[in-house]
Amino acid sequence: MSREEILSKVNDVFHDVFDDDSIVVTESTTADDVEDWDSLMHITLISEIESAFGMKFQMKDVVGMQNVGEMLDIIEKAVS
Amino acid sequence: MNHYTISELTIGMTESFTVEVTEEMQDKFTEISEDINPMHIDEDYAKRHGCKGRLVYGMLTSSFYSRLAGVYLPGEHCILHEVKSRFHNPVYIGDVLTVMGTVEEVHEAVRTIRIKAVIVNQDGQKVSQAVITAGVQEY
Repeated sequence: MSREEILSKVNDVFHDVFDDDSIVVTESTTADDVEDWDSLMHITLISEIESAFGMKFQMKDVVGMQNVGEMLDIIEKAVS
Repeated sequence: MNHYTISELTIGMTESFTVEVTEEMQDKFTEISEDINPMHIDEDYAKRHGCKGRLVYGMLTSSFYSRLAGVYLPGEHCILHEVKSRFHNPVYIGDVLTVMGTVEEVHEAVRTIRIKAVIVNQDGQKVSQAVITAGVQEY
């Protein structure tokens, strides 16, 4: 799966989790850019991404992620 | 009460309990919620509108999802994040409900589980179903 395909699928997850199809996430998107992306929604997001990609994050990944690009790095490694 | 930690929870784990819905529960829920819709508080009105008796509040039925998560699955360490529920059939005072939940997903990195839950009445009819997301706290 290419990085673009992963980003597209991540976008779909964001739409479902935040119930907002207008969200467009990019590599540089952070929690500050998405309304309602709080700590609880972050947990939901991580669990939905795990389900969507059939992979697991490590706890250190979840704490250390700074933006969507870093999230994509982890997904890319897991699914490759 | 159960005391499951995140590492003890696995996909497929199931817990259940039964509960009879009493008039006292219905009346307490009226008092708490102040939902005075006549379908819930007026027997004659409810019967005139096609019910067998006072209609038990859907949210009273859903409150058993709180017990399922907070007492059984995972139990003590539960922090409820989300309950998405649907109501399929009416519940009446005197019904004996079986509340059952099965772990469908375990997300260790964020200490969260997803539970598929269902509530059936004494006739085996599904009255409600839900997807529950619960955090599992570490102390």
